[in-house]
Amino acid sequence: MNKTVLAAIVVVIAMLGFTYVAVGSAGGMGGEGDWVNKLAVLGAVVLVIVTAFVVTKYVRQMQSDTAGGQLADENWDGIGEYKNELPFGWAVIFLGSIVWAMWYFLAGYPVNAYSQIGEYNDEVKAHDTKFEAQFAKMDDATLNAMGESVFIVQCAPCHGLQADGMDGKAANLHERIAEKSVKHIVMNGANNFKTDYAGGMPPMLLQDPAQVDAVAKYVASGFKADDAAGKAAYAAGTCNTCHGENGEGMPSVAPKINGWEAGMVATVLKDGKKGAIGAMPAFTNLTAVQTKALGAYVSSLSKK
Amino acid sequence: MENRPLEYDYTVAKMFMLTTVVLGIVGMLVGVILAWELAFPAVNTIAGSGLAEYTNFSRLRPLHTDAVIFGFTVSGIFATWYYVGQRVLKVSMAESKFLMALGKLHFVLYILLVASVVGSLLLGITTSKEYAEFEWPIDIAVVVVWVIWGMQIFGLIGIRREKSLYISIWYYIATFLGVAMLYLFNNMEVPTYFVSGGIGAWYHSVSMYSGTNDALVQWWYGHNAVAFGFTVPIVAMIYYFLPKESGQAVYSYKLSLLAFWGLMFVYLWAGGHHLLFSTVPDWMQTMGSVFSVVLILPSWGSAINMLLTMKGEWQQVASSPLIKFMILASTFYMFSTLEGPIQAIKSVNALAHFTDWIVGHVHDGVLGWVAFMIMAALFHMAPRVFKREIYSKSLMNTQFWIQTLGVVLYFTSMWIAGITQGMMWRAHDEFGNLAYSFIDTVTVLHPYYTIRAVGGTLYLVGMFLFAYNMYKTMTSGRRVEESELQSASPMGA
Amino acid sequence: MFHWLEKNPFFFAVAVFVVIAFAGLIEILPNFAQASRPVIGTKPYTTLELAGRHVYIKNSCNACHSQLVRPFKSETDRYGHYSLSGEYAYDRPFLWGSKRTGPDLMRVGNYRTTDWHENHMKDPAAVVPGSIMPAYGWMFKNKADVDTAYAEQVTVNKVFKTPYNAELPMADGSKVKVALADSVEAARASALEEAKVIAADMKDQDVKDAVAKGEIPEIVALIAYLNSLK
Ligand code: HEC
Ligand code: HEC
Ligand code: HEC
Ligand code: HEM
Ligand code: HEM
Ligand SMILES: [Ca+2]
Ligand SMILES: [Ca+2]
Ligand SMILES: [Cu+2]
Repeated sequence: MNKTVLAAIVVVIAMLGFTYVAVGSAGGMGGEGDWVNKLAVLGAVVLVIVTAFVVTKYVRQMQSDTAGGQLADENWDGIGEYKNELPFGWAVIFLGSIVWAMWYFLAGYPVNAYSQIGEYNDEVKAHDTKFEAQFAKMDDATLNAMGESVFIVQCAPCHGLQADGMDGKAANLHERIAEKSVKHIVMNGANNFKTDYAGGMPPMLLQDPAQVDAVAKYVASGFKADDAAGKAAYAAGTCNTCHGENGEGMPSVAPKINGWEAGMVATVLKDGKKGAIGAMPAFTNLTAVQTKALGAYVSSLSKK
Repeated sequence: MENRPLEYDYTVAKMFMLTTVVLGIVGMLVGVILAWELAFPAVNTIAGSGLAEYTNFSRLRPLHTDAVIFGFTVSGIFATWYYVGQRVLKVSMAESKFLMALGKLHFVLYILLVASVVGSLLLGITTSKEYAEFEWPIDIAVVVVWVIWGMQIFGLIGIRREKSLYISIWYYIATFLGVAMLYLFNNMEVPTYFVSGGIGAWYHSVSMYSGTNDALVQWWYGHNAVAFGFTVPIVAMIYYFLPKESGQAVYSYKLSLLAFWGLMFVYLWAGGHHLLFSTVPDWMQTMGSVFSVVLILPSWGSAINMLLTMKGEWQQVASSPLIKFMILASTFYMFSTLEGPIQAIKSVNALAHFTDWIVGHVHDGVLGWVAFMIMAALFHMAPRVFKREIYSKSLMNTQFWIQTLGVVLYFTSMWIAGITQGMMWRAHDEFGNLAYSFIDTVTVLHPYYTIRAVGGTLYLVGMFLFAYNMYKTMTSGRRVEESELQSASPMGA
Repeated sequence: MFHWLEKNPFFFAVAVFVVIAFAGLIEILPNFAQASRPVIGTKPYTTLELAGRHVYIKNSCNACHSQLVRPFKSETDRYGHYSLSGEYAYDRPFLWGSKRTGPDLMRVGNYRTTDWHENHMKDPAAVVPGSIMPAYGWMFKNKADVDTAYAEQVTVNKVFKTPYNAELPMADGSKVKVALADSVEAARASALEEAKVIAADMKDQDVKDAVAKGEIPEIVALIAYLNSLK
């Protein structure tokens, strides 16, 4: 019996240790473990050990000690009551806990000085200081890797882990733009990117459905030189006057549409986009480095 | 009359014993369904997608918590009151026609209340506040049922023969007062139908408090709903049933006294630990942490008092499954009242809050302590109210081990799940960005959710064994004489 | 003294009550007035948003989702700015939750959109593989209870002076007014106008048809509410 209990306790503690090693030691602020993790696991271990220890102590008394003491006069439905003193250890720890409480209140989290927002600000500052140096000298590969990691947390819920748009629920980022999106924009115009392209794009630049289809195919498949119909339609729609001959875009006039570049991704993140597929929210709380990294990562996708 | 032993009247106790068993099974069955739903989401549509509205996790969850709290636990409290109250006050219900009639009314209204709760929760009529989901019409019914119980307590006390109140009575009185105060304040709500001049749903209401204030009142209530629902009345039970069943005198009056008044004073302050790092003021949060830790000692006081009552009585523990239930219950009581304070320390709560570790804490308390103690109480009562021997001791033993295994699987899996989840949420990668997307922290829990579901299912199996044993006791246990019922309960093989 | 109390149940009960009531008085009361002051940029819910909030409560979304961003770097990175007390000034009841089986939703309006919610509520696992959130198909059929939402608006306006029809300062210096309709008919009409905007971004044809007919499915109200969480 004792052995089973002991074995169970060892197993629980081993599991906790394993959990910590598997997840907790990597956590925290980028590496060497987070003391909140340590404290939590320690707390769980202490809980198991203390309870087991104390209960064992009393079980021993059940096994070997005998009941005794002076009985009180009263008796309820046959239940008597001893007038025994308080268990010494219990009383001492009770007092100890009150002392600890005062310490926690006055020194641990001093009532007059501690503020959780202050603590948060410190945490953010420490975090930023730590990574600023690293961010200053990032090569393309690191930038790309960082972009991928941000993407998985922030963007994958819509675009999918593979960035393929999950069956058309969001844009497939392996291509610059889908045919149906181009069609939609040519017919309806667009004014999503208010900050970078304040003028927007007018609707109905092409009326003939065949031409719309042609230009959509041409743009979506990446300006294939041998696509004469597409090329013609592109010119007929005066697309080139804003987006350039080959869709390379013009600063402040119209975006690049023949492929991804970091700047364009930043534009999307700044203003969001509502189009034929759905709506993409703006991501204003990303840092400049994160935006840049996402730009690198998204641009790299279509190049693969 | 004076010389003959009193004939206690257990009519009402029996009624509430029935609801304890039935609602225990219903509530835990729903819990088991919830557990499987989290492990395998397809279970959400187990009754077909047409009925998914009523069988999915979110609609069923409040039904689980309210069925086990207001159904199972509160029934257990009432059942034991109608038994213990008479015996330690030395007065029979039969002596007062008024109390008898009121007792029956108490039960009838309670049943109506339960029915309306189940119906309304399934329909999605809820105010969303945890453990206070009911809309105002049901609140009123709750208050009526509670007041009737209060009349029972003080009515019986009023005609008692035993001058001084036994410890259990202290705890029952505190339960009554505590819940009354908390429930009233947390359910201050304005019915919109009347204020708007008859527009919309008649039962709808809006909370008197908003935002942070509402949270403060809710968790002052929520924490102490645990205190006055899962602790105080259960302690009332163990102070009666353990000494009675074992025939031992309570170890120390002083310890009982200090533990009681300590618990009363300290418990109410600790609610702040549900709001750590929220928008309530810092000092109030710190107060919640501090009082939680101080709370260990009054809680352990009662548990230790009970363990010491069994000093030198190991052979009883070893041979009686009934006493095993109670000893394990006090162990789990110690366990969860140390776990809670650890989780209430700010830096631990930063990780534990919002995770399954809290759910683990909840269930080592409720399964290991509350439900074990209530079942032990019913086992002790059964031979005395039905005048029959407990049908099967070996079945009881089997139940004990199955359920113990169930609890252990439940809380260990939830610990690991919660701590894993908490650490993954906090983790940053080598670039200083979040290391895991949210869904990573969900899918990683699948094995633990499965283990928990297995543990919960085992516990439920134990509940069925319990119900069967009770039923057989009632219908075909060996008849026993009053003289066999002094202390240890008679049990068949 | 304790022995005496144990023989005098009335005074015993009074003593218990005093001891347990004490903490509430000291902890809860002092903060009351202060915490309910709204921060700039907070505004009361419109009829449709409130109806959506009722759908959220009806289905106990708060059983799995919190609405409280704690001041930790890991949380503000994931969900946005930490929560401020005044942001909840018009939340009756509060919906902080106590369990994050799913992510926090305090600011989900910032980074999810109507069409995404539509896909997700219909079949979460199709959008987020491995999701354990239930699918909420019936919300596309059940009708939202706009009347009750309006009744609640009237109530909070009357009883708690929730500022409908008042100019409220926004963070960018502008002013915003949330209107309270004069009658339930007017409230239904204005909710329908809001619903049309949402439905325009949705794909489900039954929902679009329903809105065109002047009905508001629960999902539309719910999305209006989710979009308002910022
Ligand atoms: C008046 C200048 C102008 C002309 C002419 C013009 N565009 Fe645009 N185009 C823009 C601007 C500005 C945007 C950015 C719109 C926004 O803010 O959403 C844009 C956006 C686009 C986009 C969407 C890019 C994205 O990522 O969402 C496509 C595709 C596109 N144009 C294709 C065309 C085609 C094809 C034509 C010819 C039929 C054309 N444009 C003609 C100015 C123009
Ligand atoms: C709530 C869902 C959602 C989230 C989150 C999201 N996107 Fe999108 N995104 C969309 C949708 C929908 C589109 C398609 C819009 C359209 O063209 O109809 C889109 C389009 C895009 C485009 C193409 C825009 C264009 O000009 O065609 C890029 C680039 C993009 N997203 C990048 C990102 C990045 C990077 C993130 C993460 C920081 C992200 N998205 C997060 C939904 C989302
Ligand atoms: C069984 C638990 C559960 C219930 C009940 C539940 N959800 Fe979820 N929810 C999740 C999980 C897990 C996720 C994360 C995976 C995903 O995105 O599907 C999630 C994600 C979400 C998200 C996406 C948030 C984000 O940041 O990606 C929204 C919005 C949401 N749920 C809304 C709701 C609403 C509204 C309800 C009630 C009608 C609800 N949920 C009920 C578990 C649940
Ligand atoms: C000294 C005693 C105890 C203390 C200090 C304590 C403390 C805590 C803490 C810190 C939490 C977590 C709050 C959070 O972060 O969400 C919690 C939750 C909870 N505890 Fe305890 N606990 C104690 C005893 C118990 C016991 C004995 C039970 C039941 C038998 C219990 C039942 C619960 C429940 C049901 C919750 C969940 C509340 C919710 O819905 O969020 N606690 N407790
Ligand atoms: C068969 C046994 C049981 C099983 C399988 C079970 C399962 C569950 C599940 C799956 C949840 C939801 C957790 C989540 O949201 O992640 C839950 C919550 C809860 N259960 Fe149980 N349960 C059981 C028995 C009980 C009993 C007997 C009680 C009380 C007497 C109880 C009280 C609660 C409470 C208070 C919560 C809410 C916890 C919180 O909000 O933190 N459960 N249970
Ligand atoms: Ca209520
Ligand atoms: Ca909870
Ligand atoms: Cu608590």
